Amino acid sequence: MPIDDDMFEKLRVELRRGSLVLAVLGALREERYGYTLRQSLEDAGLLIDEGALYPLLRRLESQGLLISEWREEAKRTKRFYRLSLAGTDTLAALLHEWNDISESILRLNQKDK
Amino acid sequence: MDLIDRYLAAIARRLPAAKADDIVAEIRDDLLTRQEVREDALGRPLTRDEVSALIKDMGHPFVVASRYRPQQYLIGPDAFPFFVATLRIVAIFLALVFAVTAASSVVFGHADIAHAVGRAMSNLLNSAMLGFGTVAAIFYALERTGFPAEHLAKWRPQDLPEVKDKQPNAWGSAFEVAVGVYFILWWCGVVPFPAYYSNVKGLVLTPDPIWTALWWPVLALMVARLVYNVVQWLRPRWKMVQAAFAVGTAAGGLALLGVIFQAGHWMTASGTLPADQLADINQGVNIGIHWAIIACGAIWVWQCLQELWRLATSRPGGAGVRAAS
Repeated sequence: MPIDDDMFEKLRVELRRGSLVLAVLGALREERYGYTLRQSLEDAGLLIDEGALYPLLRRLESQGLLISEWREEAKRTKRFYRLSLAGTDTLAALLHEWNDISESILRLNQKDK
Repeated sequence: MDLIDRYLAAIARRLPAAKADDIVAEIRDDLLTRQEVREDALGRPLTRDEVSALIKDMGHPFVVASRYRPQQYLIGPDAFPFFVATLRIVAIFLALVFAVTAASSVVFGHADIAHAVGRAMSNLLNSAMLGFGTVAAIFYALERTGFPAEHLAKWRPQDLPEVKDKQPNAWGSAFEVAVGVYFILWWCGVVPFPAYYSNVKGLVLTPDPIWTALWWPVLALMVARLVYNVVQWLRPRWKMVQAAFAVGTAAGGLALLGVIFQAGHWMTASGTLPADQLADINQGVNIGIHWAIIACGAIWVWQCLQELWRLATSRPGGAGVRAAS
């Protein structure tokens, strides 16, 4: 049966949505502002909806995982984000979880081969 | 800048005032940075259409602004099944109330079928919209005060109906509730009801004083039966509660019937009809009521015995035991 493109796209978006927080937290081990953060994600092959990034950053900040400050750079004030201490711990825990899931999925799929 | 300013203003209008400036400043910086990067790559200023496309990539102002709000739905996915189940109950109840009202209007000659159906449909539509809005508002409020998280944490598989239990007929139970509500309204004089004899010219049937004397006990019994029917419909697992209501209302009903029966005469026919005709009607009506009281008593005794049997044979430790205690 041929794969339905729309259905595949929905599944792909669903799969990526869960991993986006991990990617953002990982990228913000180094301080960045919105535009450079999106660039780094895109360079790593992770596209993010233009309008979704900033609300996500706000949510993570309100959860205490990020800290931010307004600073001037290239003649404009920009909001810079980086991981907080709690964010660093959470990222480590999430990465551990991610690796466990990845290994489980690989094991399950290897059985089928 | 004009398009960007308009776009940002449209977003700002839909943001909480305390955060709007901060959020908009960040989006402005992002748009201007992207514009500069693009202009550097092209070696020229962007055209108005190109700026427009750049803005469009960010998303519709409504959508962008909504992403900064904590909750983006009226009824959430956890509460939705409970919302739909409640709507279903309300819909069944309303449909039956208006069906019974329309049918009684036709049967007792207060309206022809077309008028009765038309009025019932119109009332049903209005009531359904009001009911939908009310239920939605209640669920909206409930969800923001912790429902259904607490309910989902507390529910127990033991409280689910047993597979062998006779599943209640929702329509049957709802019908009883609708009829019960209608009778209470009639007893309180809110709605007119069975008065086919009023179409007979020269005949007036007057209830005897026994009915006035027992007005409150009869109302109390009707309300108790209504509660019993509601429990049967919505909480079929509460067997102890049902049994208590069935036995209680049957006992109370039998006592009332006993008092009513002892009166020996319940309606008086009067009017301008010939005296012998009035006497016949008087006798016929009272004989009818006499046998109706006996039939009613027999039915209640039978129902009471049935409930006692259910109570005796139901498994111990059910939800009903806790609910009744």
